[in-house]
Amino acid sequence: MKPVDLARKLRREAAFEPAALDRGKEALMAAIRQEVEPARRPTIIPQLPYADIRAALSFLERAFGFREIPASRMEGADGVIHHSLVEFGDGVIGIGTQGAHGAVSPQRGGIESQYISVAVADVFAHYQRALAAGARIAKEPREHAGGYRSYEAFDPEGHRWRFVYQRLREVPAKA
Amino acid sequence: MSSPSDVEAIGRSLAEPEAFGLIYDRHAATLLRFLGRRVGAKVAEGLLGELFRIAFERRKTFDASRTSALPWLYGIGSNLLLKHRRGEARRLRANARIVAGLEAADRRSSAAALDARVLFPRVASAIEALPDDERETLLLFAWEELSYQSVAEALELPIGTVRSRLNRARAHLRELLEPNGKRRDRSR
Repeated sequence: MKPVDLARKLRREAAFEPAALDRGKEALMAAIRQEVEPARRPTIIPQLPYADIRAALSFLERAFGFREIPASRMEGADGVIHHSLVEFGDGVIGIGTQGAHGAVSPQRGGIESQYISVAVADVFAHYQRALAAGARIAKEPREHAGGYRSYEAFDPEGHRWRFVYQRLREVPAKA
Repeated sequence: MSSPSDVEAIGRSLAEPEAFGLIYDRHAATLLRFLGRRVGAKVAEGLLGELFRIAFERRKTFDASRTSALPWLYGIGSNLLLKHRRGEARRLRANARIVAGLEAADRRSSAAALDARVLFPRVASAIEALPDDERETLLLFAWEELSYQSVAEALELPIGTVRSRLNRARAHLRELLEPNGKRRDRSR
């Protein structure tokens, strides 16, 4: 028998419960609805200071896939952006001016006083995107126990971002 | 009245995201079977969710010159499966035992039945031992019965590369199935 025919012999029909398809559809449509009406009312909004907000917004979009909420942008008559919000999934972060509200960009301060964890669906794809956009990698992607994956990157002003994926544990079905 | 093509539905979903639901309705069952064959129903269900979320996020990049979204979706699924090699290998070996049992029962002589019991687990290990790219090409072709063109779209390869990968997979399988073939190579 030819090798491909032998391989074909090992193909087995895969049964699934029809409800699995309905559950998948429901989850997809929920994700889609969230895309249409993003949850823009989170109760906690971290604020990050940047010396160059315009460059930061562009980088965060290109490298990390964040999206500016256009209506939130505060711009002076001189075209200088003072503050804006970016969203990603359920999360929103404020992009503010270096020095305002006492907050200092790591570029100026020389230290990172915090890092922000962002949940993503595909850590490795996200890493590739960030790398392609020239992000400096702080920690290469790695797989931790239990399917937990992460990597860390710096943005151009030195804020540290951690991107994580965590598969939720399966809850055993009742017998 | 004909329903919109995949390209039309995806195009429409850029402005009306809910239109993407049609792509799910049309292809989810096929993909759930594909994933289920490879990693079992339970894991497949989780992967199906991931697959469609990724597809939805990447819908802007879908090549509008394609007639069906299915190969593109297979490609996303193939990528997700790479992270489930161990489960896949287990399943493949289980399949081999089942098929060997069925085939052995079919064969009259005990010698032929024994052959089947030896042969199919070897086929499973041989498939498992293929490099990722060859294994994926082979399984999309042999199990999912995708055309060369569809495999090329799924794996984002020129069609010539699909042909040569399949040929390499065939040659590798032949070599791996040859009695002692692989061992002889290794010990040299």
